[in-house]
Amino acid sequence: MKQHRWLKIILLCLLTMGLAGCWDKQELNEKAFVIGIGLDKDEEEGKVKVTYLITNPEAGAQQAGGTTKEPPQEIISLVADDFISSRDTANAIVAKSISYNLLSVLIVSEDLARDPNFIRLIYSAAKDREIKRSLKIIVTKEKAEAFINNNKPKLETRPDNYFGLIINRGQKIGMIPDANLKSFFTDTEGDADFFLAIYATTDKEQRDKENTSDDNLIAGEIKEEGTSNNTEMIGSAVFSQGQMIGKMTGEETRISSLLDDTWNAVDILTAYPDPFDERYRLTVRMSKQKNNTYKLTNDYGRPHFEITVPLYIEVLSDPSMVNYAGNKQKVVKLKQYLTDNIEKKMQQFIEKTQKEFKGDTFHLSVPFRKHFATLGEFRDFDWMKTYPDAEVNVKVEIHFGEFGRQTKLPKLKEVRD
Amino acid sequence: MLKEMFQVFKKRKQKPLSMQQQLVGEQTELKEQSISSDLEENFQTLKKLFHIPKNNDVKVRELYIEGLNKKACLLFISTISDVKSIEENILKPLLTNKSGKEIKEIVSIQAVTEIHLFKDAVKNLNQGNTVLLIDGCSQGFAMDCPNFQGRTIEKPNTEILIKGPKEAFIEKVDVNISLVRKKIKDENLVVESIDVGARSKSEVYILYIDDLANDKLVENIKNRLNRLDVNSIQNLSLLEEYIEERSYSLFPSILSTERPDRAATFLEDGYIVLLMDNSPDCLVLPATFWSFFHSPEDHYLRFLYGNFTRALRMAAMFITVFTSAIYIAITAYHSEMIPSELMLAIAASREKVPFPAVVEILMMEFAFELIREAGLRVPSPIGPTIGIVGALILGQAAVQANIISPIVIIVSALSGLSSFAVSDISLNFAVRLIRFVFIICAAFMGMYGMTAFFVAGVYYMVSIKSYGVPYLAPMSPSYKSSSDTMFRRLLRNEKFRPGFLKPSDLQKKQ
Amino acid sequence: MKQNKGTIGIKEYIALVILTVGAKLSDDTPAILFENAKNAGWIAVALIGLLSVLPILFMLKVFSVHREKNLHEIILHLFGKFIGNIVSVLLLFGGVFALIVDSGISTDIISSFYFTKTPPIIVYSILMMVCAYGAKRGFEHIGTAAWLLLPYVKITLFIVLLFSFGGGTFGFIYPLWGEGMLPIIKTVAKDMSIYADFLYIGLVAPLVTSFKVLKKGTIWALAIVTFEICIAMVAFVMLFDYTTAEMLAYPFHETIRYIHIGFLSNVETFFFPFWLVATFIRFSFYLYLSATLLGGILKIKEFEYLIPLLTTIVILLGAAPESPSITLSAARKMNFQLLTPAFFVLPPLMWILAKIRGDFKNETA
Repeated sequence: MKQHRWLKIILLCLLTMGLAGCWDKQELNEKAFVIGIGLDKDEEEGKVKVTYLITNPEAGAQQAGGTTKEPPQEIISLVADDFISSRDTANAIVAKSISYNLLSVLIVSEDLARDPNFIRLIYSAAKDREIKRSLKIIVTKEKAEAFINNNKPKLETRPDNYFGLIINRGQKIGMIPDANLKSFFTDTEGDADFFLAIYATTDKEQRDKENTSDDNLIAGEIKEEGTSNNTEMIGSAVFSQGQMIGKMTGEETRISSLLDDTWNAVDILTAYPDPFDERYRLTVRMSKQKNNTYKLTNDYGRPHFEITVPLYIEVLSDPSMVNYAGNKQKVVKLKQYLTDNIEKKMQQFIEKTQKEFKGDTFHLSVPFRKHFATLGEFRDFDWMKTYPDAEVNVKVEIHFGEFGRQTKLPKLKEVRD
Repeated sequence: MLKEMFQVFKKRKQKPLSMQQQLVGEQTELKEQSISSDLEENFQTLKKLFHIPKNNDVKVRELYIEGLNKKACLLFISTISDVKSIEENILKPLLTNKSGKEIKEIVSIQAVTEIHLFKDAVKNLNQGNTVLLIDGCSQGFAMDCPNFQGRTIEKPNTEILIKGPKEAFIEKVDVNISLVRKKIKDENLVVESIDVGARSKSEVYILYIDDLANDKLVENIKNRLNRLDVNSIQNLSLLEEYIEERSYSLFPSILSTERPDRAATFLEDGYIVLLMDNSPDCLVLPATFWSFFHSPEDHYLRFLYGNFTRALRMAAMFITVFTSAIYIAITAYHSEMIPSELMLAIAASREKVPFPAVVEILMMEFAFELIREAGLRVPSPIGPTIGIVGALILGQAAVQANIISPIVIIVSALSGLSSFAVSDISLNFAVRLIRFVFIICAAFMGMYGMTAFFVAGVYYMVSIKSYGVPYLAPMSPSYKSSSDTMFRRLLRNEKFRPGFLKPSDLQKKQ
Repeated sequence: MKQNKGTIGIKEYIALVILTVGAKLSDDTPAILFENAKNAGWIAVALIGLLSVLPILFMLKVFSVHREKNLHEIILHLFGKFIGNIVSVLLLFGGVFALIVDSGISTDIISSFYFTKTPPIIVYSILMMVCAYGAKRGFEHIGTAAWLLLPYVKITLFIVLLFSFGGGTFGFIYPLWGEGMLPIIKTVAKDMSIYADFLYIGLVAPLVTSFKVLKKGTIWALAIVTFEICIAMVAFVMLFDYTTAEMLAYPFHETIRYIHIGFLSNVETFFFPFWLVATFIRFSFYLYLSATLLGGILKIKEFEYLIPLLTTIVILLGAAPESPSITLSAARKMNFQLLTPAFFVLPPLMWILAKIRGDFKNETA
């Protein structure tokens, strides 16, 4: 009999708990899914303008009970103290409860990113339970609000789709950095290397054609025509200690990615002037299949870093039609030429980081950490101070792969005949 | 309804008075009398006992045995005895016999036993035997000639295999024993019988291999059967509830199978098998979780195929138990887990549905169970209707009317379909019922509630025992065995009998 | 229906210890270790593991001559009734305190990461009710359940570690010695009691099938657990770098929130149930141990009946503190520091006393 009494009590307890329970329960259709949060400076000190980009699940969905003609997204901007408290304020406008489940991008205007108070604001993301550390950070040239409003992807109906795809693709080709909240925190707290955020804009800027190669561009500079979306994501914003201090073009971002071993290998398509005919440019495909090697020597109190970057290169075009593939000498020449060219570019880039940013953007401190036994020694070395004055040498080791799908081309003369 | 539910629990332990004392109308006193030497008197007593002439099929044949120069009387129940054999082998020799031989030497029947009490006479008659009473003789003769009607051996109906033997037990116990004996040609296979039931005496046959089965276990089961104090137990399915240890438990602790090959395999591993008339199946005990989970085909199929089936069945079991619950937990509590596209798709499909996910799921699961139950009971001519009604109305129409979101149909169909892969009916029910508990847990506390219940369930499962054998043995706690649990091993590597049975001979091959 | 007290074999024993002690890598233990040792936390764990061999060996030596006795009975035997009881009571306080604090922390993890709106007391009650049920089922069944569930818990842990290694940067573990040897040694000295569980396991020593199993199982479990926690600490540092890792209250849960597997970008709910399973088993075992000790001190044979009482006390005390992640973490650190000497000193002391009393002579004779 005793057992039954227990059974009853437990049963009743469960029933009552069931009646009172379900605190965290929230059905999917009661949520408004925020895809991106835009942050802007407000005129008033200490306030921010928060823009929510909310996706509409019904857009584009096939439904048995009839489809809707609702727009794919909803955008709300409001002024708040930070982007945590803004959540409830937004509910004055949005009917469903604001959910960060699908939050994937944090869009910050350059103006705000350059503000020293930006770091205070972004650290509230570390407190919020729902915000993940894999959140991507995008810095926009214009106001974040304007960026979100102008961003109208044509082929991806819903914004969550669009951001996921474009960022993923951009990272694979090295045009934009892998910029998530976790690396923002680690880089800021690590106090040695700079953090790179994605740079984007919808604000077009006309620029002369001739002084740029394909990728030496930053967002807003690509000359694009047609009916596509205005948004461009290329290049990166450089953050030092949680504050934006500069920006880099797509090419610089690529170089930074090649120098950085903590990045996943990227697959780069780029062009170099043809060594055999200066009028043309050679298209090459570059990837890193082995890790860089790093060496530290200390001559005369000035640290000397040596970085060796092994590159796997496939030359994909032969505009001068010299058929270098079959010619050993030409291959050697090409290799030498490319090595010099890339090394020069890298060296220039490093100089820029040393002079302009006064810090490295490619996690140089990480491989050199093993030269220190303790954190104390590492801190005394003071990476931030030492790097700008250090001597950094880059060596490139090129390993040729295929020369395109079809290695031989007809002789130009013969064709012309 | 709640009150009634509690009453179900309450009535459990009202111990009935001993049956022997209150068998009204059983004429116990008459039965206890011994057979006298006066034929007329004996005849009257039996008439009384068998309600002759009210009782139509009890036949009495009075005759005169010339050789002995005595009057005699032959009794039998014509519907359950072999009338032809009585005529050929008993009546004819008795009537034509002229010599003064003993009765036993006159009749040509396999077994002739002398009986002294009316009790035995009654019992023998009820079993289809013929009783011969002779004037001036204070004993009767019971002659073996039963002929109960039943069907012939057929294919199994519930445990269907593609590869392997295709005989099933039938309602005649001697046929069943014969089927088992056919598989185990071993003189050590013992078939003991115990009477259960005070009014209707039914025999329960205990089968075990004498030098393999653990003696204590056999003793334990015999005791249990002897202690039963009920009027009648018709068949094994009813007996099962009388002898199982935890009648309220969700988990079955006695295995019932209709396949003689399976029973034989269990016997050879040292298990005990119970057989009974009127039961087209046998009970195997002790039973562990794995014996419900396994199917004989796992071993009949080649190694990889058999294990693939096992994996499939395990997956099916998990799907049945967890899919619906996980769907609720994820959509209502942990929505961040779903890939964004899917999440938005679900959100979109739920937009127009008026009910919370739990209600949707419960509705669909209930509907599925209904279709299943109705489909089982429906007379076969209108069987196809059920399918049409189920699939069409519940599926498509509910979605189109925005009552159920399409994804819920997928989820509940998946869990329903998977439940069929668990072939054992007891385990099947257990799994289906547990599913509902998990759904409620998930609705209440999401994954946390589910895990809490799951861990509690595992604690329960490892602590229950079937006749002293831990339910999840030999996986945990581990015993020396062939490790035939989740997956089977190569037959030549399955060297041991299950150690948890404590068999006398552990090793079954080198 | 009382289940008879059974013994457990080596598989179940190791599984139980691994789940119980190994579960510490998923609460705030790594955070406590990172605090001083920084990115060399894993070295500290390895050292703790190595050093723990000493007291454990002493303890096993003492157990080798008292195979029928549990820790409490041995303490009574060695220290005499009065002092022995005092020692046991102190141990009980340490143990129950650890149980309260650890379960409070687990509740905090559940309610701050997964069930933010549910009142913590409900989360706590469910946690402890399941554990009480498990503890009441008895030691044998906790062990059996542990062995049954161990593979799933460890496979998922392995996946987590694999993906965090994949997503991490190996360079972050340098400089190898962290803040230097001194902070590492300090960490070892302060937090050695993360393995104090091994001392309490002595309470169930007679319930393990044989002394050989106990000895082998304990050493194996110690090795596996140390390895596991080391690897996890390395993974956390590789993923977050020491600066961030040290700031995270519960690195394991931040890890499973951060990593993504293929097309699934948020997998924490996938790992959460497995972590919970380990947690349930861990506290069931703790509850059982505390009840055994309390029963021993109060001379109550049927100590299973103390479990509901203990559970109630644990829930009431554990749910009491404000802002649990800070209060409990501080309490935990304090408990670590108090238990460390007990863990390190008690076994050798017991050994010396046994030696003086001449208990070891019987063995050789």
